[in-house]
Amino acid sequence: MADIHQFFQQLINGVALGGVYALIALGYTMVYGIIELINFAHGDVYTLGSFFSLSILGLIPLSHIASGPALGLIALVVILAAALLCGIVGVLVERLAYRRLRNAPRLAPLITAIGVSLILENIMQLWKGNSEVPFPQFLPDRWHIVGGVKFDDRAVLVVAVSVAFMIALNLFVFRTRLGKAMRATAQDRDAAQLMGININSTIAWTFFIGSALAGVAGFISGMYYGTTFFLNGYQAGLKAFTAAVLGGIGNITGAMLGGFLIGIVEAMTSQYISDQWTSVVVFSILILILVFRPSGLLGEQVPEKV
Amino acid sequence: MQPPIRVRFTAFVGAVFLAALGSAACSRGTGGSSSANGGPASGTVIKSGVDLPLSGSDASDGVPTENGAKLAVIDANKQHLMAGYTFVADVLDDAVNGVHSPNQGAKNIQSFASDGAVLGVVGPFNSNVAKAEIPLSNNLGLALISPATTNPDLTKGPPALQLRTTNPSSITFFRVCATDDIQGPAGADYAGKVLKLRRAYLLDDNETYGRGVSDQWARQFIADGGSVVGHDHITKGQQDFHALLTRAGGLHPDVVFYGGTTSTGGGLVRKQMADSGLGGTAYFGADGIRNDEFLKVAGTSASDVYATVAAINADKLAAAKTFLSEYQDQFHQPVGSYSANAYAATMVVVHAIVDAAKAAGGKMPDRAAVLEKLKTTKGFPSIIGSFSFDRNGDTTNKIISIYEAKNGAWMFLTQQNYAK
Repeated sequence: MADIHQFFQQLINGVALGGVYALIALGYTMVYGIIELINFAHGDVYTLGSFFSLSILGLIPLSHIASGPALGLIALVVILAAALLCGIVGVLVERLAYRRLRNAPRLAPLITAIGVSLILENIMQLWKGNSEVPFPQFLPDRWHIVGGVKFDDRAVLVVAVSVAFMIALNLFVFRTRLGKAMRATAQDRDAAQLMGININSTIAWTFFIGSALAGVAGFISGMYYGTTFFLNGYQAGLKAFTAAVLGGIGNITGAMLGGFLIGIVEAMTSQYISDQWTSVVVFSILILILVFRPSGLLGEQVPEKV
Repeated sequence: MQPPIRVRFTAFVGAVFLAALGSAACSRGTGGSSSANGGPASGTVIKSGVDLPLSGSDASDGVPTENGAKLAVIDANKQHLMAGYTFVADVLDDAVNGVHSPNQGAKNIQSFASDGAVLGVVGPFNSNVAKAEIPLSNNLGLALISPATTNPDLTKGPPALQLRTTNPSSITFFRVCATDDIQGPAGADYAGKVLKLRRAYLLDDNETYGRGVSDQWARQFIADGGSVVGHDHITKGQQDFHALLTRAGGLHPDVVFYGGTTSTGGGLVRKQMADSGLGGTAYFGADGIRNDEFLKVAGTSASDVYATVAAINADKLAAAKTFLSEYQDQFHQPVGSYSANAYAATMVVVHAIVDAAKAAGGKMPDRAAVLEKLKTTKGFPSIIGSFSFDRNGDTTNKIISIYEAKNGAWMFLTQQNYAK
């Protein structure tokens, strides 16, 4: 019995961690889908999200607000504000660093992305310092026990928020005009342009949405862990990238699936193998996928270009 | 011809990026250097290098230690120990990205060595940094006196000999703190005999210090009749401990021992224990977590937490009274675990320099002469008690103090003298 409890307990840990990975992976996959750039600065935008959330929370007199619904509203406001700010950062990065390199050899934007990542990391270091920054725990810490498995509101928050944003993203991409423009641009940029789609603004929106989702991930991970650190985005970014590749880079549903799978694989490795091996297992998956199934579990949605 | 707007815009953006990269280069490397002497320099300057982690999570250990060293230099100048000379503390940061770095420590030693005015170095704080610095110190003949590194392998036995390959017989590394072969068991005794804890789960940060101290702790904990239900290592930069701690929770420990520093995860682990069903379990650590950074990171989880320190508590010493009040006047900060040790370590260096200068007829001594004087330190009177260096460079003063984190502060519990 105890073993089964442990298993489900780890499943919850894995799903919560996976929710964060999935939100970050979405940004990787959307940007790759549309301009075939692996945006290595994306992990740092995620950390930036938690830093923005911290600053916004600092403006709110949390200790004077005791009631539950008001706190929930604050959480929502902070999520949206962090998402908005990260989205703006994403758009700026695209405008300043990537746009002019759009037709350059693919190595050029890739190296630029690494440069942007370093710049963001150092800005964050100067901004909040290079030690762990405590994240205010303003939501009440309630525990739930379901069938012997314990979890608290924060785990629920992580999963609920990440799933809600993923559903919203899917609706957006598949049900709106802008979403259609994105898919068209991803399929064939030149043809889309000939059909009257504004490529620059479509790509800017892609960066905005991807970065906004990373901002949401930044907030929920801050809530979940209770601390944040300026270099957190590095590891999380690599794992999320693995998730995106696992699901099939360029594939939105694949990124979500990959995120949750990587989270669960990490938790299970920790339980049944050893915590030290989690990164080894995750990055071995990356290598195996790249070697044996480069298009990922669900396959790339970018069609072959002839 | 006026360049087109697009070109100028790109140039501007490029300039901004370059500026950002420039600041990046500064903040990634040495966290800066500062010096203190307590007044205008007069006469020839003699420097004591100070190498400590001074930025990021390690700053809450490094800065109070640095303050102790600076205060010693100020006092030495006030006492006019050497006519015509002024002592200066030349301080370098060995933390990179907020965590102590052996590579940066080694670079700092080389930079001290290239400055002829540096006759000895106080530091480092962390054992893995010492491991990178001792071979250089041995090779260059530059004395290194640590206030806080506790791994026994730095001075004793075959592992220590491997650090001194250039001059195996020459001791250049000294320390004024006790070692983990005393600190670990002292903590385990307290956990087993006083707190009556029986089932320990061990975690360490895989560093020289963290691994060493947890092994020493475990050995004694078992000898005292306890059992070790598991021992895992965490990796640098790890943020999520939920899965690890959930697994540990399944082993039902009544105490989690953490071997490592706050900067390598000591605070995060304690914080996340509450999320993983280990909220009511005691937490035991050593000097790596006995700092304010731990209290900050662990937040409300910083209770039922115990930590040993391989040094005497200065509050309890009559000899340290002046030191404590001067420290407050000078820095307006609380003293750290090793502030008084840094003061004593710096004083040992200063006195070795003074003695060597006397022997040289008042001239500025060379590093070898300072080393000779350090080796023969016997019954040195200091604010942490009188001590000598044994043939390995270890202090004869072996005191372990034990603290408990309670209501957002570290409270002193007890201390014991292990000197034979």
